[in-house]
Amino acid sequence: MNPISPSSGMRIALSAWDAAGANPAQSPETQFKDFLVRSLAEVNAMQHEADRAVEQLATGGDISPAEVLTAVQKADLAFKMMLQIRNKLVQAYQEVQNIRV
Amino acid sequence: MFSAIDISTSALVAQQVRMTAISGNLANLTTTRNEAGELKPYQKRHVVFETDESIGTGGAAGVKVASILLDDSPPRLRWDPGHPDAIREGPHAGYVAYPAIDMMTEFTDALAVARAYEANLGAIEIAKDLAQQTLRILI
Amino acid sequence: MFDAIVQSTSIPVLEQVVRFSQARHTVLAGNLANLHTPGYRVRDLSVEDFQARLREAIAARQAAPAATPPSMAWSSPGLWGSSAQLAENSPGLATAPPGTAQPGASTRPTIPLAEVAQNSKSIVYHDDSNIAAEQQITEMVKNQLQHNLAVALLASQFRLLQTAISERV
Repeated sequence: MNPISPSSGMRIALSAWDAAGANPAQSPETQFKDFLVRSLAEVNAMQHEADRAVEQLATGGDISPAEVLTAVQKADLAFKMMLQIRNKLVQAYQEVQNIRV
Repeated sequence: MFSAIDISTSALVAQQVRMTAISGNLANLTTTRNEAGELKPYQKRHVVFETDESIGTGGAAGVKVASILLDDSPPRLRWDPGHPDAIREGPHAGYVAYPAIDMMTEFTDALAVARAYEANLGAIEIAKDLAQQTLRILI
Repeated sequence: MFDAIVQSTSIPVLEQVVRFSQARHTVLAGNLANLHTPGYRVRDLSVEDFQARLREAIAARQAAPAATPPSMAWSSPGLWGSSAQLAENSPGLATAPPGTAQPGASTRPTIPLAEVAQNSKSIVYHDDSNIAAEQQITEMVKNQLQHNLAVALLASQFRLLQTAISERV
């Protein structure tokens, strides 16, 4: 049983990136940029899905409250994770900016 | 939202009036004279409800007591010539006139009142819960 | 600008659901208050009506920006109950029997037990009223659950907007 360590976290993230279809033929910048853009689209899609689920519930569709609540919660968490990633990126950019040449 | 509580309260008040009338009927089960001392047995009180449109909003309506009617059924006659309140002359001489109140009927009515009272209390609880949950929109 | 942001979420829809639930509670409380009133006929706000109009409003809203195609064509009886009395003077609750209240099912009773349930909702009692306390209480509780669910979802939407604005997760 591997203990949770920073390097194992890195391995998990990298395997997620691989699973998301990183193309090793591309250069690293475009890979990461595509990954980001794809993630944003996914988060947006999840938000839309949650909105649709809520509308279905409100207009009497055959969706259960549990499904709606899980869809909404997933969308919320995905958004918050994206927000946190964005914050970290901005922080990293500011750190780079502060490097005295 | 609060008009729902008003409506349920009007029901509680009305049921309370009805309960008072029922208690009065039960208390006067064997009252042979009225308050003026005349030989007229107690007449059963009926409480009549009516929908009260002035309380609710948007199609809902409360309830009010329309009237309290006196029952005009003939009294229950019991043969007891030795009783001080026995009828002296006429076709019913020797009988005592007791109120035409049936204990079982009154108890059943009281049960119905208790059930309605509880139902309306439940409605008030739900209205309170709705109002409190609505406050949770404010984060 | 902020209004456009709010309109693009599901906040307006949930708002309508909350308002409808509160109005319907008032009417149902009025029914319970008149439990022993002679000659009283049960009143209700039609849930199907409300849901149909909500559906139309959502479709109209989506037709304008044409973002994603509306995926709703639900004409089934509502998840939240099957009461559909429209006018206070109609002779009884015209509802789908509880045994068959599934989405997509027709409103004709398909099991014998449901037939009895249908009739018991429109019994006129000897004092010329047709109110049954159990039915009203059930509707009231279902309405309460729908209301609380809508409020919880509304609160979470507002919290999400606030997270986005404050940039603090």
